[in-house]
Amino acid sequence: MRTHRRRRYLVVTMVIALIAAACGGDDTTDTTNTTAPADTETTMPSDTETTEPDDTEEPTGEPIRIGGTLALTGFLAATGAIHQAVGEVFVERLNEQGGLLGRPVEWVLLDDESAPDQSAAAYERLITEDEVDLVIGPYGTGNITSAMAVAERYGYVFPHHTASLTYAYNYACHFSSWSTGLHPNITNPNLIYDALESTGTPPATIGFVVNEFPGTMFIAYGQDGTDEGGAVSLAEDRGWEVVLDLTFPTATSDWAPVAAQIRDADPDFLYIAGLGVNASNIITAMQAIDYSPAGMFSQWPAPGPLLQTEGADGIMSVTIFEEHPPFTDNPDAVEVSGLINDALAEADIPYTKVETQAAASWTAWEYLTQAAEGAGSLDQAAMCDWLLENGADTLFQGHIEFRPDEQNYFEDLSKLKQIQDRDWWVVYPEEFAAPDRSLIYSPDE
Amino acid sequence: MDLISQGVVSGVLVGGLYALMSLGLSLSWGALKIINLAHFSFILLSAYFVYQLTLSYQIDPLVTMVLVVPLFFGIGALMQVFFHMVKVDEFKSLIITFGIFIILQSLIRTIWSADFRRIGSELNPYATESIHIGAVAFPVSQLVAFAAAVLIAVGMSLLLSRTYFGKAVRAVAQDREMARAFGVDPRRVAVILSGLTTCFSALAGLFVAVGQTIFPGLAVSWFGIVFSVVILGGLGNTVGTLTAGVIVGVASNTAAVTWGPLSAPLVTFLILIAALLFRPEGLLTRRSVA
Repeated sequence: MRTHRRRRYLVVTMVIALIAAACGGDDTTDTTNTTAPADTETTMPSDTETTEPDDTEEPTGEPIRIGGTLALTGFLAATGAIHQAVGEVFVERLNEQGGLLGRPVEWVLLDDESAPDQSAAAYERLITEDEVDLVIGPYGTGNITSAMAVAERYGYVFPHHTASLTYAYNYACHFSSWSTGLHPNITNPNLIYDALESTGTPPATIGFVVNEFPGTMFIAYGQDGTDEGGAVSLAEDRGWEVVLDLTFPTATSDWAPVAAQIRDADPDFLYIAGLGVNASNIITAMQAIDYSPAGMFSQWPAPGPLLQTEGADGIMSVTIFEEHPPFTDNPDAVEVSGLINDALAEADIPYTKVETQAAASWTAWEYLTQAAEGAGSLDQAAMCDWLLENGADTLFQGHIEFRPDEQNYFEDLSKLKQIQDRDWWVVYPEEFAAPDRSLIYSPDE
Repeated sequence: MDLISQGVVSGVLVGGLYALMSLGLSLSWGALKIINLAHFSFILLSAYFVYQLTLSYQIDPLVTMVLVVPLFFGIGALMQVFFHMVKVDEFKSLIITFGIFIILQSLIRTIWSADFRRIGSELNPYATESIHIGAVAFPVSQLVAFAAAVLIAVGMSLLLSRTYFGKAVRAVAQDREMARAFGVDPRRVAVILSGLTTCFSALAGLFVAVGQTIFPGLAVSWFGIVFSVVILGGLGNTVGTLTAGVIVGVASNTAAVTWGPLSAPLVTFLILIAALLFRPEGLLTRRSVA
């Protein structure tokens, strides 16, 4: 009996150790495809459709090496693949159009396995051993946060995309390409609530289901230790009764209890402060018990799976770019969107449209290259100063002026989008709404 | 009251899926002394096959069972042949099958990318259909999974207790050499049983594909639940595994609707710890083949 028990303890301990070794504490699974950093320089796809290059000269001389990591494996890899495809299109196009400072550009891309510690170690190596000329940020809040500390230590300009803990980034030369503003915990919920009030029939009751991921907790409850903002308190400020406030683990796989509690609370509006497929799973679980709230919002969903989810019609989310007018009034945006669509399709990514992730990714590359061209050199301090002084002209988000007094953030450019007729459309503010589209919401339905 | 009732019903039904996911591992560990961590990636691989077949041929996802289950029987049988070749024991199996798990995870990511995949509602009506009794809903996909789990658990229990093959399996589990002395071919028995356990993974994968969004990292989230169910149920004890699945499902669901979803993993692991401390041989030990 004792041997029996001891053996089982041992087995369970070994299983836990193996899983921990494989996952680094996250719900990741993939480690075997991690190639040695020195061998992971990307080659640009040769068959990506491109437009005719201008009459620019071929770039010559030593390549400018831009280092960075992405979550090519692990639990963030689905979105990491979008950033990889966008980066490859950008670098290929850049080289076709004369390179950077007349020199060809080479992207040294490493896999950070979706792990912040791996990301920090990789940036340390890129800067000290590989001696890259420039760096570009990784994907994922944790990875960006840890990599930024390395970039700051070596004084590198650090453009990055889609990091959610805005208040934590005070490095003078970090430049976020995700236009959420410094206080998305205030501006994002207010955008949604203003939109709901604009319908003339705002909700009387609201429910929150919140992923315990730091970024979504920040949006829902504001910065820890402060009483500033947060979707929950802002709803209360508007006189809406909060009938459900539920936090769920990031690794939740059984959604039935969440759905049962939502049905029990029966809110006029459901705010899903989740990411990835959280909203898809919650909606499916609610459908399975025959429940659907009058209106729903999902903070950072995977847009493709949500479109395919039965019962998701009418759900809202935030975005910085969608492939319809007025965003596509700029022909260059249309052209680049087409290139990205092709690259995403080639990478076998099911949802190929440009939206927040791809647009923010492209913008980060624009920051970096405009800073180098503007400063006329690869001097990090000069590049940083140039960006702070001149801002950046971006394809998907227009001209951006960085505000050093707001940790280099600028205004929140988020728009509200909604699934209507099985597609995403921006519906608020009105001036950014797709033609013939407006927010559909009525708590009485 | 409706909330608790719904929580208990959902717990019972999801417990069926947990049991289905655990049956293969339980039998493999109990009867073959193989702690088959590849079992988790087989479930996921099956889910991807179901997804792909459903989309490619525009067929009902449940129909894919006809192709997927025999295919996985073959995979399981071949894996056991390999284990015989390399003379795998209980602890070696942990390492080797973990390697297979990693390889299959990478293969899945290479073929289907790391992105989220979901069978669209036009091909998959089961995901959102339900039967109602009063205010309590019984989701169809979970009902079918539960029924499959009951059929397999009871069927395997009868197979193990009332057939020559079952006796052979139990004999091999207890003393391989003695079984051989009585004319049982342990290799053959193991190959067939391994094929069967992998079939159960395939079925579990089918119901995962029907009810959830799938992605390569999904398999890791099953480890805690499945090991809790397997240990609580008793190795090789199919009815015990079903019972344990329902207990874990009801306990975690009731906790989730009572104290919030954050309490569900806590309850699952408390059950695992309690099982290891007080019933390491499982809840229903007498029928165990281990």
